[in-house]
Amino acid sequence: MQELVLDQPGRTVGEELEHGAAQAETRREFEERLVECGPLAYRVARGVLRNTADAEDVAQEALLRAYRQFDRLRDRTRFRAWLVRIAFRLALDRLRSGKRRELRDTLWSQPEYHPPAANAEDIAASNEFQAHLDNALAELPGKLRLVLLLAAMKGHTIDEIAGMLGLSTGTVKSRIFYARRKLAEKLRCHANNIKRR
Amino acid sequence: MPCQQHKEALIEAAANGAELQGDLRAHLAGCTDCRATFEEERSLFASIDAGLHVAANAEVPASLLPRVRTRLEQGAAPRRIGATSWLVLASAAVLFVVFLAARALWRPNAVRQPVEMSAKVPPPEHVTAPSEKQAAESPLGKDDVSNHQLVISKHHAALVAAKTTPDVLVLDDQEILLAEYAEQWSLHKHPLLLAQQFDATILSPLQVEPIQIDELGVKPLAEEKLQ
Repeated sequence: MQELVLDQPGRTVGEELEHGAAQAETRREFEERLVECGPLAYRVARGVLRNTADAEDVAQEALLRAYRQFDRLRDRTRFRAWLVRIAFRLALDRLRSGKRRELRDTLWSQPEYHPPAANAEDIAASNEFQAHLDNALAELPGKLRLVLLLAAMKGHTIDEIAGMLGLSTGTVKSRIFYARRKLAEKLRCHANNIKRR
Repeated sequence: MPCQQHKEALIEAAANGAELQGDLRAHLAGCTDCRATFEEERSLFASIDAGLHVAANAEVPASLLPRVRTRLEQGAAPRRIGATSWLVLASAAVLFVVFLAARALWRPNAVRQPVEMSAKVPPPEHVTAPSEKQAAESPLGKDDVSNHQLVISKHHAALVAAKTTPDVLVLDDQEILLAEYAEQWSLHKHPLLLAQQFDATILSPLQVEPIQIDELGVKPLAEEKLQ
């Protein structure tokens, strides 16, 4: 009696199982990093875009892109830096497209994003200053802006930023210093005007 | 207005957030304008840092991670360059090479074809167009032009006909006659006369009669005057 053997095109059953296990392992490993680095991707995107909805879209896209190419990342300890770069680049692309500029401007002026102030005048002044800061920040070169945003985030030391971006600590410090000086030059007159009122 | 010589140092000190030292500290103790400027600068940098802190530490929406997980569940699998991908890439490369080879072979044919055709097609009887002056002088000038166009169109038609193999429809009883005619026509067909194959001996030398010149009578000028 002849035994019938079913030939499966493509992978064999063993290879299929192996592939499934590898994918599950990748997914588990990625899940850990998603919880740890997801907020970072969002904050980087929001620092550039200044809009919650756009930033969430970009962060999601950055995380999915990182997952799709996760196997190519040999040194998994570099995931954080890698994700920051992806999120930053995608956010800049989204910003340049300018499709949602009006909506972004509207949402940016919402008081929920600003620290509580003592009275209505302070809130108004704070909002106005924040809007000017926002514009000045947008005019900064990308490399200065990213370093400044990462430095302003909670829990990021200069050494961590340097490691994340592959720069020396000296370069990070000088970029932060130079970026703050640039912002001060742009905001000096606005700050004086707000104070005089 | 702050003192110009201390202005830059004041701004730098405010940006660094460091305590003033040495000469600058002593100057600020006695200069009200510089002290006010220094305070303004410190306030400005504090505002910038506060604003940056707000911008950089926005609250993460609770929907972000669930949305990403949902998308991952929907099949955003990591891309692996497996055997299938290599096969596709190799096939594409082979197709590209074949395309290049076909293009390389196609070009020489396109150049050779007109040469072969020119050997097959008989030259037109008359291809030079009459000048405008000739056309105007001759009462049949317009006809000449139209004849010329006719000759060119015949030549063009012959070229077009030479591109394809002619199909001749004849009656059944005339097939043999046509075949005989074609055979005889091919026997009388002369090869092209090429300059290298030209034999000069087949032509008789040109006979030209010598020019007849009468003898000239030459007389000195002095004798003519005397007469």
